Amino acid sequence: MKQANNNEVDLLLRALARQRSSAAGQSGSDGGDEKSISSDHLDADELNSFAEGLAPAPARARYTEHLSECAACRRIVVGLTQAAGIANRLEAPEQTRGAGFWQRLSEFLSPRVLGYAIPALVLTAVIGIGFVALRQREGSQLVAQNDRPGEAPAVAQNKTDSGQGSVVQPQPTVQNGQTGPTTEAPKERNTLEDEKLRAGQGLQKPDAKVAKVESSKDSGQPADVASAAGSRPYAPEPKAAEAPPPPPIINPEKSGELAKERSERREDQPRDQNEEVRVQTDDVRGPNRSRSNTAQPMSQRGAGVGSGRGLSADKNKKNADVETRSVMGRHFTRAGDAWVDTAYEYSQATVRVARGSDQFRALVADEPALRTIAAQLDGVVIVVWKNRAYRIQ
Amino acid sequence: MSQRIDQIGKLFVEGAVRLLERATDKHGLKVETLVPRVTAAVDKYILRDDPQAPAEVIQDFIDKLQADDLCLIVACEQGNQKAWTDLVERFSATVRSAARSASSNEEGAEDLAQSIWAELHGLRVREDGRPAGKLAYYSGRGSLAGWLRAVVAQLAIDQHRKQSRLVQTEDDADFDLIIQQGEDETTWSGHGASANPELQISAKLAGAQMQKALAESVKQMSAEDRLLVKLYYFDGLRLREAGAVLGVHEATASRRLTRIHGELRQQVERLLIEKGGWTQPETARAFSEVALNLETDIEPLLATEPVLMKKENEVAG
Repeated sequence: MKQANNNEVDLLLRALARQRSSAAGQSGSDGGDEKSISSDHLDADELNSFAEGLAPAPARARYTEHLSECAACRRIVVGLTQAAGIANRLEAPEQTRGAGFWQRLSEFLSPRVLGYAIPALVLTAVIGIGFVALRQREGSQLVAQNDRPGEAPAVAQNKTDSGQGSVVQPQPTVQNGQTGPTTEAPKERNTLEDEKLRAGQGLQKPDAKVAKVESSKDSGQPADVASAAGSRPYAPEPKAAEAPPPPPIINPEKSGELAKERSERREDQPRDQNEEVRVQTDDVRGPNRSRSNTAQPMSQRGAGVGSGRGLSADKNKKNADVETRSVMGRHFTRAGDAWVDTAYEYSQATVRVARGSDQFRALVADEPALRTIAAQLDGVVIVVWKNRAYRIQ
Repeated sequence: MSQRIDQIGKLFVEGAVRLLERATDKHGLKVETLVPRVTAAVDKYILRDDPQAPAEVIQDFIDKLQADDLCLIVACEQGNQKAWTDLVERFSATVRSAARSASSNEEGAEDLAQSIWAELHGLRVREDGRPAGKLAYYSGRGSLAGWLRAVVAQLAIDQHRKQSRLVQTEDDADFDLIIQQGEDETTWSGHGASANPELQISAKLAGAQMQKALAESVKQMSAEDRLLVKLYYFDGLRLREAGAVLGVHEATASRRLTRIHGELRQQVERLLIEKGGWTQPETARAFSEVALNLETDIEPLLATEPVLMKKENEVAG
């Protein structure tokens, strides 16, 4: 509204100037004035001092008064100003010195400023809301996938989330077709897998950093848990076997990428060719595996070594209990009554085969190496063979 | 009183001494030669407006005089041939440039440039025997080059007046004429034609009264604001150029112009209500209608102006 008012006055002033020009043309009758211009107008010194901005304030006011009425002197001053390059010296705009807070506020809230500021703020808000909504949507999808019972891909998709999310979020515990997010289950799984991992790595002791992470995880701090989980390498990677447990550096991106890679690999596996294919349960895997054999790769599960028990006692127990064997190029770890292939991941579905059954005979007929493994390892054997996991019992 | 005169006289002498000390080339001038020039400059710029100006102000003014330029001009005025040669050598290019700007053709510019030296030296002779030239009017407040440009410009106007004998009227006369025309109430050219003759006459009357009120409002503005309006609207300067004349940045000039628009509108409305008997809605409606008609009427003339104004407003932030 104010701008419109200004435009109206602007147009009126332009019309007035146009009217003045025509009026001047009509009234050109005083051409007989032959008096020297300097006698009635500002002299050259005054014009120059005004143009150069050197006239004292009172004199300048007097000259301004004259210039506002005298077109001839104005023309000279304009020419002097342009010749002196005064405009180029006035680079910095005049600040509103001494302007009060309210004046500055009103200038800040002027329509001219808000015309740019409001769209920018709205755009920023939309982007922010969209980002938050997208994140929440991803989280809700995760929960929905977790709720599906007995789906291994859902487990794998969980891993595709960030490292923090894959640990902090309640992991799906697939147990005879039932699911239930438990907070203790991942810890137990981690303990078991860590035992297995260390057995495969020659019983390397965790360093102090890992111990610190584990202890902090025991205290139930999600951030530390996340950092620990995100920093652990996966079991199949040879570096994990050679190097000590990595320091607790948060690297969720890497963890997420690896998890995604694993999930893709897992999706390639046939899932339901055999009716005996089931999601592995926890009943025969030793005391540490109960109700928790899902989701996490072994290396990540190692993050939960210290969960639920003291660190030193845990170390001693592991050193005493872990036993390994190698048969037909496969490395097995003793876990309770079972021999578990180090390449096995607990999220992997297994084919149960009973020793002496027709199915067992058919299997060993096709894969004689499995016969050797089953013969040399007593009790329950979990072996990964040609990307399939067999539970021979 | 006499004490004040003595004090000021002492300030002049001391100032002249300092001025002479600041000059790189004294041209053989003595302090007593400079004192009258210093006195004239202080009278012109300080004591005329404030006879009781403090000593500090006078001292500051004297110390800001262009020492070299003033000594050169005074030496020329004293008949120092070397100083005169120096003046011509140093400033002939400036004078020629100013002459070319003031003249419409090269021949006229050359004539003007040649005549300026005669004007400076003086063709007439004063009572003391020295030539009565324009050199006596240089105070040293501004630069000598700027002063020479101003002298050239004034001389060009004088010569133009003498030659053409057709001089453009001054702004006051213009406004008086416009106001007088407004009283006729039939000369408003801003309104477009209306299909209804009655409405057309009514619109013309309204427009004429508004024009008259606007002209009066412009005359009632402060000299600084009025000068800005004249420079921007009447002389066709850009805001950058108008701001330079006023010594402010174009952004500041734009803000001032925006403020002036608002004040002018209020003043015009007040005049229309108080003197014309209009009502507030009538003035608002008249503004809109007149501006609407003007917009279509002067659109060809302002083909580039809106873009310019918009740009300047953007710069003003």
